[in-house]
Amino acid sequence: MTFEQHGENRFIVPIGPQHPALKEPGHFEFVVDGEIVTGASVRLGYVHRGIEKGAEDRTWTQNLYLMERICGICSHIHATAFVQGVEKLAGVEAPPRARAIREIFAELERIHSHMLWLGVAAHEGGFDALFMYSWRDREVVMDMLEMLSGNRVHYSANLIGGVKYDVTPDMMDKIRDGLNYLEERLVHYLDVVNNDETFIGRTRGIGTMTREQAQLLGAVGPTARASNFAYDVRVDAPYAAYTEFPVEMVVAEEGDLHARFVVRILETMESIRVLRRIFDNMPESELVTRVPRRIPAGETISRVEAPRGELFYFISSGGGEKPERVKVRTPSLCNWGTVITLAVGHKLADMPMILAGIDPCFSCNDRLVMVKRNHHDPQLWTWADLRNYGIEYYR
Amino acid sequence: MSSLEEILTSAEKLLHPYALNFNRPEANRLDVYLARENLLPAVKAMVDARWGYLSTITGVDRPASAGEEGQPAEQGEIEVLYSFCAGAAIVTLRVRVPYTDAVLPSICPLIPSATLGERELMEMFGVKVEGTPDTSRLILADSWPEGVYPLRKSFVPAARFSGKAEGG
Repeated sequence: MTFEQHGENRFIVPIGPQHPALKEPGHFEFVVDGEIVTGASVRLGYVHRGIEKGAEDRTWTQNLYLMERICGICSHIHATAFVQGVEKLAGVEAPPRARAIREIFAELERIHSHMLWLGVAAHEGGFDALFMYSWRDREVVMDMLEMLSGNRVHYSANLIGGVKYDVTPDMMDKIRDGLNYLEERLVHYLDVVNNDETFIGRTRGIGTMTREQAQLLGAVGPTARASNFAYDVRVDAPYAAYTEFPVEMVVAEEGDLHARFVVRILETMESIRVLRRIFDNMPESELVTRVPRRIPAGETISRVEAPRGELFYFISSGGGEKPERVKVRTPSLCNWGTVITLAVGHKLADMPMILAGIDPCFSCNDRLVMVKRNHHDPQLWTWADLRNYGIEYYR
Repeated sequence: MSSLEEILTSAEKLLHPYALNFNRPEANRLDVYLARENLLPAVKAMVDARWGYLSTITGVDRPASAGEEGQPAEQGEIEVLYSFCAGAAIVTLRVRVPYTDAVLPSICPLIPSATLGERELMEMFGVKVEGTPDTSRLILADSWPEGVYPLRKSFVPAARFSGKAEGG
């Protein structure tokens, strides 16, 4: 049924902007006929911070820190996409050990991101025991990231031309122990996802997307691979150390919510496998190579596989200390289109899980701060106000 | 699987009837410069041949530069980049439209997922996308003034970051 057929009688259920599925803002309108969704639309931007505009005003180095802050879950992969683009423009390559360390951080990040998602998606489906267990176990990988970098969220491992932190043999041993534990847990979660009757009831045959739909709607990452649309930037266009330490692509045929659970759990196991391989064959080299402060004029496109799928950076340099244009296309933006289309025909009660099924990341899409000239309105803060507030707060 | 070179050559062949010219900025990239009226046929050729997928639409502001003495100034343009990816290969269709006539046809009839990219283009760069199915705001706040396009170079935020470190 289309919008037109409903005419005046259509009933719209607004969901959001507060906490539609994940604890981030986005606004959806579902047109329903009884319990069944017949149409959907999305409105984003509630946490838009103007990062692309801000990038044009900052030096290459300052921008590295800005790009890391696009997303709190996949901060490392944003920085990696950015520095790899800048390195290409500058005509330098990070040393082998630095590239391996980038891959280590990227895969640890994928593990923590997929486990976070597993918990959130389980929570949306009403499986709070699974949510609590998976988040308890996720602390293991968070501890590893903290051990490596001193930080749980913004590990800030990248520099233009290399990485800041080394991974010592002692650290590798500790991470290996943690990975052994996580692997055992993931085997258990795979068993739950595949064999728990109520879980299967809520996931199998829900939100099914065919391979053709996935391609047409522009799905990326695990969402696409769960529909047998097999592409993964790590495999198709290897970067960092993925040539030396390749990953196997994980795909599934079914294309439903259940397949999205299975693909992400298997991908997490694959990350563990490749991490062990890197630790066994860690290349020796410097951690950073020299990069000029001014980046030669030119344009480049840098693509990486974020936990949610292909992350695309377009970077243009005019030859100065600042970029002329940085365009960031995050994977969540591609996957929204799938939700809006797949929602049709499903029960309203399935919407939270279908939304959570793509592992949406709102902050990734939204990149602007509200800048108003009016200082007197206590609800509106300028960038300078916010900075001063921050400086005063920590003084 | 065909090589990177073959994949890029196949795109070059597909787009040959429409292109103003081609450029190979990097080993894995092909840039295709198009006139506005050839955008739809070029996108259709890519879609019909199932050449990869549309990865993103990027807007780039090319502001007016002061002309030579006595010459009229060059007028500002918006360049729009449609990037298609297949494996490691990237083909970018590049179209330029002047500020005074910043209109492009929608590619949504060919690629429905382009709607978000086109909405972003309209809001952030002020390009009118004719025939796009949804013209409502995607990202900017409801209170954002009409006709102010934040990603144009002429837009200067009220509070500009000074770049100087102060305080803690």
